[in-house]
Amino acid sequence: MSGAVHSALRLKQRRDWASFMDPSDRALAFWLLAPTAILLLLIIVYPVGRLVWTSLHNLSLTSGLPAEFVGLENFEIMLDDPIFWAALWNTVLITIITVPGALLVGLGLALLANLPFRYRWPVRLALLVPWALPLSFVGLIFAWFFQSQYGVVNDILMRFGLPRIIWFNSPEWSFTAICLAIIWKTSSFVGLILLAGLQTIPRSLYEAADVDGAGRLRQFFEITLPLLKPAIVVALIFRTITALQTFDIPYTMTRGGPGTSTATLAMYIHQNTVSFLDLGYGSALAVAMFVLSMGVTVIYLRMMGKGH
Amino acid sequence: MAQLFTGLPLRLIAAGVLLINGLFPVLWLFLTSLKSELELTRTPITWLPDRPTIANYVDAFSDQPLHIFLMNSFAVATLSTISTLLVSTFAAYAIARLQLRFRALILSVIIAVSTFPLVTLLVPLFETMRALNLLNTYTALVLPYTVLSLPVCTLVLVSFFDGIPRDLENAAMVDGCTRLGALFRVVVPLAGPGVFTAAILAFVNAWDEFLLALSFNASPMLRTLPVGITLYQGEFAFPWTVISAALVVGIVPLAILIVIFQERVVSGLTAGGMKG
Repeated sequence: MSGAVHSALRLKQRRDWASFMDPSDRALAFWLLAPTAILLLLIIVYPVGRLVWTSLHNLSLTSGLPAEFVGLENFEIMLDDPIFWAALWNTVLITIITVPGALLVGLGLALLANLPFRYRWPVRLALLVPWALPLSFVGLIFAWFFQSQYGVVNDILMRFGLPRIIWFNSPEWSFTAICLAIIWKTSSFVGLILLAGLQTIPRSLYEAADVDGAGRLRQFFEITLPLLKPAIVVALIFRTITALQTFDIPYTMTRGGPGTSTATLAMYIHQNTVSFLDLGYGSALAVAMFVLSMGVTVIYLRMMGKGH
Repeated sequence: MAQLFTGLPLRLIAAGVLLINGLFPVLWLFLTSLKSELELTRTPITWLPDRPTIANYVDAFSDQPLHIFLMNSFAVATLSTISTLLVSTFAAYAIARLQLRFRALILSVIIAVSTFPLVTLLVPLFETMRALNLLNTYTALVLPYTVLSLPVCTLVLVSFFDGIPRDLENAAMVDGCTRLGALFRVVVPLAGPGVFTAAILAFVNAWDEFLLALSFNASPMLRTLPVGITLYQGEFAFPWTVISAALVVGIVPLAILIVIFQERVVSGLTAGGMKG
């Protein structure tokens, strides 16, 4: 009798233990997703709230004064700040130039890499190296490439009988050098994404087009490009978002100079926050960056929605 | 006509263009690192070093504490990789395997995070880390780097978990494994290549990050490699031979990773990218 109760109790205990160790799907899902949720709350949601709050305050760590609510004053200062407009313009210009640039170069690289090579690994490696290099390293490497006296770019220019360019003395040439460095660095990522897209296109489509007598150019525009569109859109979105945040390459190549001719919005945020410790104004600038970036993402998503 | 496009000469030219484009900058850096300062400031410039020297590598380690930068980068990248893997394996398993009511919403949130401009977090994170006395600690970088790699790693793992037959897991559970036990004893080992791919992506992301490392960890003993290497240049002096040597030292670990695991990296990048 008592033995039966005892074993029934034991059974119940074991079941409790089992349901603890093997919780229902819903409970398990909660625990599995909790770390992600906590991390996102801690590192994204809370900071974004804090960012908006600080942008409405006068908070400079050098003054040692507590935060003082000033409403939209930081944003008014921003709209009257010529350096903000210069940095914003440079950021937009870098995006407009390097995103299509990297897309075109990346498409070219992908088409070349998709040829039937006997050994694929050297080609793949050549695409992976620029992707893996830190942006800051690329900035330093290209600063050395474009060095006016001993740089390899001027050496090659002179071998072709062209004049030497003092790259980093002129705003336009500095800007050009920076854009070239960004395009070189980012086109390989685009190339890898597009190469994967190319490899999913069935050969039979091209064979059928050959039978129909369609030339290579027509095949490219009527088979390759349309089928590559999803991959191109993915590359476009990621490239645009990273271009708007450009910091490492101009920072290591020119520190924003000469003057503010190559300073970007991210560099100006960094300067106000870390160098001047003016967190109120830095936050206002970051809010502007946030709005810009989100706006672009929404526009892309709208365009994708229409495309479907 | 068709022959012209697939013929051997074209393939050779294509391979040449790809290899020069991808590898010349690093090759040039390596050649520069072997030249003496005297040779470097000669015009017209030499392409191959006259008398190759390793003196620049010695200088790179003595002019700045390069070994400390290396150690910091290894520590931060490894810790970020581990924490990213833990968090993203759990999330990816829930998304791939459990009947979630908000599966689509959860996936969209994760993709939205991948398009979030991390630069904007510089100010509030700087403020918070400063208030919590976390500036100049590994934690200040490991936490944001985990979020940085979380989306791509989760997407890569979801696509790998999707490829593992549920029957294997069910069989393990019939044999008395708990669901969590099945995750760690059956799913993770089978998704090993995927976990590994995610690890490489997280490691490279952390190894390469510059802005937050520059802003949060400025103390000499806690600088990571990308930040430390910018210190070789003085106000007016650019010792390019030594900078090149230091850069080569920083590239070697990455080069080893991508030479050995290139197929994994490519599959991971495209799995993450395609889903996004």
